[in-house]
Amino acid sequence: MKVVRNTLLTLVVAVLLLPVYAMFAVSSASDATDLGGFGFDISQLGAHVTQLFDQGGFPLYLRNSLILALGIGVLEVIFSSAAGYALAQLRFPGSRVLFAVIVGTLSLSPIVVLVPMYLIVKELGWINSYQGMIVPFMMSAFGVFLVRQFALALPHELLLSARVDGASELRIFVRIGVPLLRPALLTLFLLQFLAQWDNLLWPLIVANDPGLWPLPVGLSQLQTEYDFSIGLVSTAALITAVPPLVLMFLLQRYYVAGLTLGGVRK
Amino acid sequence: MTVSLRLVPPVTKVSGKGQRWAEARTGGLLALPAAVYFLVFWLVPFVAAVYLSFTSYDFAGTPEWTGLDNYRRMLGDPGFWNSARVTAAYTIGSVVPSIVLGLAIAVPLSKPGRYNAFLRGLVMIPAAMPLVATSMVWSVIFADKGLANALIGLVGVEPKPWLTDEGLALWALVIMTTWKHLGLFVIILTAGLQGLPLSVFEAAALDGAGPIRVFYRITLPLLRRTLLFVLVIAVVGAMQSFVPAFLLTKGGPAGATEVLPLYLWATGFGFERMGYASAIAMVLLVAMLALSLVQFRVLRGGEDG
Repeated sequence: MKVVRNTLLTLVVAVLLLPVYAMFAVSSASDATDLGGFGFDISQLGAHVTQLFDQGGFPLYLRNSLILALGIGVLEVIFSSAAGYALAQLRFPGSRVLFAVIVGTLSLSPIVVLVPMYLIVKELGWINSYQGMIVPFMMSAFGVFLVRQFALALPHELLLSARVDGASELRIFVRIGVPLLRPALLTLFLLQFLAQWDNLLWPLIVANDPGLWPLPVGLSQLQTEYDFSIGLVSTAALITAVPPLVLMFLLQRYYVAGLTLGGVRK
Repeated sequence: MTVSLRLVPPVTKVSGKGQRWAEARTGGLLALPAAVYFLVFWLVPFVAAVYLSFTSYDFAGTPEWTGLDNYRRMLGDPGFWNSARVTAAYTIGSVVPSIVLGLAIAVPLSKPGRYNAFLRGLVMIPAAMPLVATSMVWSVIFADKGLANALIGLVGVEPKPWLTDEGLALWALVIMTTWKHLGLFVIILTAGLQGLPLSVFEAAALDGAGPIRVFYRITLPLLRRTLLFVLVIAVVGAMQSFVPAFLLTKGGPAGATEVLPLYLWATGFGFERMGYASAIAMVLLVAMLALSLVQFRVLRGGEDG
C-alpha cells in the first residue's frame, strides 16, 4: 500500500518537474532543432552563461532586479513593521482611520489603480527612475496587516515591565518589538522579494530606458531580439529562477508560514 | 535575545498623561510613513480611478466629464466582451483543475514521513519559479519542435501549433497556469491537512470507515476554510493575471487570449484612453469583489461566525 502510494507520488512529482528539466535541456541546446530532446550538455550551458554575462543588457537587468527586489524588501520590512507595531500596541490619533484604509487596500489589486498611480508618478517626475519603480511598492497593506497580527500577540507583561523601567516607546519597539517580530519580518521580506523579482507590469509602464529595466522587462525584450537563440533566452530564464529558488529553500519554513498565515495574499 | 522577567509590581497598566503623550508621539511617528504612503499611492489613486472612469482623458489636457459614457460604450464594445469571455474561460479553466489535482496530490503527500517531506520540497519548485521565467520556459515547450509536441507525438498525435491556433492558445495558457498554481496549492492544502485534528481520523478508523468515505465525510468538511482561501486567491489571481498572456501570446491570435488586464493595459497605455481604461478597471474590481463574496457565502454557509 505504502509502496504503491510512494511510487504514484514520485511519478506525479516527476511529471510536475518535467518542465523544469526541459528548461535545463533547452538551455544547453545548441540550436533550435532539438528542443524536444532531453540531452543535456553542460559545456553548452556554460557557454550560454558566459555569453549572457559578456554581451547585451543581461548583467544590467540582473543588477536592476537586485536593486528593486532587495530595496523594496528592506523598505517593506522597515515601514510595515513600524506601522504594524504602532497599530497593534500604541494609541495614537488617526490609528482607526489608517487601519480602515489598510484593510480596504487589501482588496485592491495594482491593476485597478494602475492608471492613476502612473499619473501620480509622472506628476512627481519619477518616470524613468529607480524611485518611480520602488516607492509605489515600498509597502503593502498585506505587510502592515501581517505585522499587526503578530504584534497583537506580543507578551504584554514584557512591554509593560519595560515601560515601568522607564524605557521610551521607541526604544521598546526597537529593542523588544523588532526582535520578537523577526519571524514575521523574514516572511514578509521573502514574499516581497519574490513578488518584486517577478514584477513585470509596473517597470514596463514606468521605465522606457533599457538601462533601468529589471530582469522581467529585459527578458521579455530578449525574446524578440533576433540574435538571441532560444537556448540563450532559456538560459536567461534559468538564471532568473535561481535566486528565488535558493532563497525559498533556505527560508522554506517562513515561506510556507507566509502563504498559509497571510489569509489575504495577492 | 534573553529576557529576564523581573519581579514587577502588580501594575496592569501604565497610564497617565505622560504615557498617553508618549504613545501618541511614538505611534504617530512610526505610522506616519505608512499614512503618507497609503494616502498617496492607494487612496488617492483609487478615488482618482473612480473619477476617471466617468471622464474622457488622454494624456493631453484635463479629464472631461462624460458621465456614464465609458460604461455605456463598454456594453457595445466587442473587444471588452471578448476579453471578459477569455478571462472567464481562463479563470474557470485554470482554477478547477489546479484545485482538484492539488487536493488529489496533497492528501497522500501530507502524510508524515521523510520521503514525503522530500517530495514536498520538490513540489515547491514550480511555485517558487518566477512567473516570467516560467512563461519563457513554456513558450519553448509549446514551440513547433518543443516538448509538448514531442510528448503528444509519442502517442501518435500530429504536432499542433499551440500558441498560434485560435482554439488552442488559451488552452496552452491554462495548462501553464495550472502547472504553476498546482505547486502553490499543494503546499497550502498540505499545511491545512496537517493542521486537522488526528483524533477525528482515529475515531473514524476505529469505526471502520474506508478512505473514500473519510475523505468526503471528514477531510473535505474540516478543510473547508483552507479550500475557501485557496479558491479565493486562485480566482482573484487568475482574473488579474497579465504576465502569461503578455509573454506567451501577446493576447493573440486574433484576441483569443486577450485577458481583461491585457485589454486594460492596451487601452490605457497603448491607446492612451485613460478614462475608458479606468472604467474597465472598475468593472474588474467589482467582479473580483463580488465573486470573492459569493465564495465566502457559499463555503461559509453552514458555519457560525
